[in-house]
Amino acid sequence: MPATPSPDDTHNLIAGNLIAGTYGVDVARPLPGAGGGLPAFAVIDRVAGRSGLMAVQSAPGAPPRAMALNALAGWSEDGLLVPLAHGPGQGARGEAAWFVVSAAPPGPSLAAALRPWSEPELLEFVLRPAAAVLAALDLHRVTHRAIRIDNIFRAGMAAPVVLGTAWSAPPAQHQPALFEPPYSAMCLPSGRGDGTIADDIYALGVTLVVLALGRLPLEGLDPVAILRRKLALGSYAALVGDERLPPAIGDLVRGMLAEDPEHRPPPMLLADPAAARARRVAARPPRRGQRPLELSGERVWDVRTLAHAVATDPDEGGRLLRSGTVDRWLRRNLGDPTMAARLDEVTRLHDVDGLADTARADALMTMRAVAILDPLAPLCWRGAALWPDGLGPALASAEAMGGEAGDLLAERLGDLVACEATGHWALMRPERCDAVALRLLARQRRAMVHLRGWGGGLARLRYALNPLLACGSPVVAGRMVARLQDLLAALETAAARPELRRGQPVDREIAAFVAARNDQRFEAELVGMADTAAPEQAALMQLRLLAGLQRRVDGRALPGLAGWLAEQAAPTLAAWRNRPRREALERAVAEVARSGQLSPMVGLLDNGAARAADTRGFHAAGEAVQRIDAAIATLAGAAPARAEAARRIGHEVALGIAMMAVTVAVVAAVLA
Amino acid sequence: MKAQVAKRPAHGLGSAVWLQGLACGAVVAMATPTAVLGALLLAPGIAALLLERRTGRPAARVTLLCGAAAAAAPLTALWQAGLGVGGALAAASDPTVLAGCWAAQAAGWLLVQLAPVLLRLAFDARAAAIAARLRTERARYESEWGIPPADGP
Repeated sequence: MPATPSPDDTHNLIAGNLIAGTYGVDVARPLPGAGGGLPAFAVIDRVAGRSGLMAVQSAPGAPPRAMALNALAGWSEDGLLVPLAHGPGQGARGEAAWFVVSAAPPGPSLAAALRPWSEPELLEFVLRPAAAVLAALDLHRVTHRAIRIDNIFRAGMAAPVVLGTAWSAPPAQHQPALFEPPYSAMCLPSGRGDGTIADDIYALGVTLVVLALGRLPLEGLDPVAILRRKLALGSYAALVGDERLPPAIGDLVRGMLAEDPEHRPPPMLLADPAAARARRVAARPPRRGQRPLELSGERVWDVRTLAHAVATDPDEGGRLLRSGTVDRWLRRNLGDPTMAARLDEVTRLHDVDGLADTARADALMTMRAVAILDPLAPLCWRGAALWPDGLGPALASAEAMGGEAGDLLAERLGDLVACEATGHWALMRPERCDAVALRLLARQRRAMVHLRGWGGGLARLRYALNPLLACGSPVVAGRMVARLQDLLAALETAAARPELRRGQPVDREIAAFVAARNDQRFEAELVGMADTAAPEQAALMQLRLLAGLQRRVDGRALPGLAGWLAEQAAPTLAAWRNRPRREALERAVAEVARSGQLSPMVGLLDNGAARAADTRGFHAAGEAVQRIDAAIATLAGAAPARAEAARRIGHEVALGIAMMAVTVAVVAAVLA
Repeated sequence: MKAQVAKRPAHGLGSAVWLQGLACGAVVAMATPTAVLGALLLAPGIAALLLERRTGRPAARVTLLCGAAAAAAPLTALWQAGLGVGGALAAASDPTVLAGCWAAQAAGWLLVQLAPVLLRLAFDARAAAIAARLRTERARYESEWGIPPADGP
């Protein structure tokens, strides 16, 4: 147990860590095991004085589930730790983090004292309350995706279970392979997506099996082995095996663990176990070949495991597809010429795609082949599997991962978007998804990545798909900037760091963040910022962008940021040609910057008419200087002409004087 | 063609020389005292006329005119006195008369030499003043609009 801090310490800690202005996070009081795999801390409700609350801290690069938090805002449901509020705060080590406040678990988790449960206990205290919660979630079109024994809590022996929190991390990110359907477990942990309520039904089914057995099945196997076993045998057979379950639980779990999500009973039906038990769905096991196919050292007996093998080793799988080995195996050993013919079409498409880019053509071919071999499988792209709605968290995790692995994953995901792979994947399995919608979505995502300027790229897509992902720019490092209103305050703080003031306040990462959070209002500015050929325009675009944000957010004075921008506006000021006017402008900008308002700075620097007049004046001055230079050159070149004129005129003057003297002398002589 | 062009001035000049020689001969024959006195008083101008090679012989012309202005009074006196060659020689031997005529011719020659120099100085001073005013104006443009200096990079 942590040491209890003094009331003053607690007050100070909480005062700096208020969520939604109401919930004070006491990071000195952690709640181990309460956060569903994430750190959780006690919370004090400073308005209503409620106790029994907790705040779950999100991990960097694993943003909370914004859609679920929005959908469940103001909602209350017994049997679920519903989110009450969320916002930025400081973790136990002073790190910036996002917290989701909810009720604290009413008691220990089911994993705390694992024992075999009786059938009535399972039906009364686990299945019915959990099914009711899932039915309510389904009405809100929200999934839980964190149902497992260490995230289900119970107040006492006669109390129904309460599903834990599942809102502070991407869906199913912390789910072990045991509790996930195989087609979710094979995905990147961050790429499992929200899924459907059927995935929660599956996890609930596994929970029932675990509680009925009183221990974890497949214990000791690594996640890959669990996944392969589920794919090879089917989930029910893999988990239950020869164990004996209570009859009703066995029947229910068989349906809940169906591989096809459509075959699993809906939560409303599970609320009435008797009816759910009577519902039988005939699920055919996959056809087994007469002889196995060797792929990457693995012996493949059916299409499901073949699809998984091709997905995990696309290079080898692609080679076997191109060489016709898979085709022959399907025809001769599995007796499925229809599937072989469809695969043949895929390899023909490869020849067409390969004209442009061989690597992409290979990736498209293996992706299509996996979708044909196992339509239940997720999108498998160059060795990484994910569901389309898991792309956002997968991009965030790739960025957070960093290093070579992170770069490789980001490159693969970027390639997936650039190829519109989601659309091609959906076309291969139109009966399993809305192919038209997914194709449109893929096109929109590709268009977003290809947007010109700093408002596009994979970073834009990453922020667009993760509404609560913190901005990853080094300029705002150490601050939790997940919303636009947090950005300006973070930049104002960053303005106090001299090493940052050498660069521009808005970098590519911040630009992508703003573009994603701001509904395309600053597209022109984001394009202009990327124009390295016109640095004066880039600086002005930064100023316009931040001024627009200041107007939009709260208009609070930002003297530090304004001073920073005034320094960075040197190229913009330098573009003014008239020196006295420029110096006056510099003084005016510095004066306005001290007030912390950015819009007047824009008014001073972005004055088109004055700039046009300045440009006209500059051109007129240039022409005048040209005329002056020409006149000086003419004067310098006219020296010989001047000498000749002086000689000629001098002689004429002398002659005139002489003639005058003669005339006077003659007249005088005559008169004398 | 070149030969014709070269011969024509020589031919014209030769005629003028012959006419001038004829006129001088007539004057010497008909007014010998006047010719003697004129030749003696205008000797520097005549020498300049023979020696100068410039087109139009501006120095010789001015020198002769200045000499003529100074010789007008002695010649008038010679005519009014009706003196012969002896009188002309006597007038020419007067140092005041001879020095006055020759000094006038020297002044004429000096005037011809100095007038172009002085005028050129005046013209150059005016051009320099204009150039200075233009450079001042240019410097103002350079300072105000950041235009590079004329001899800059």
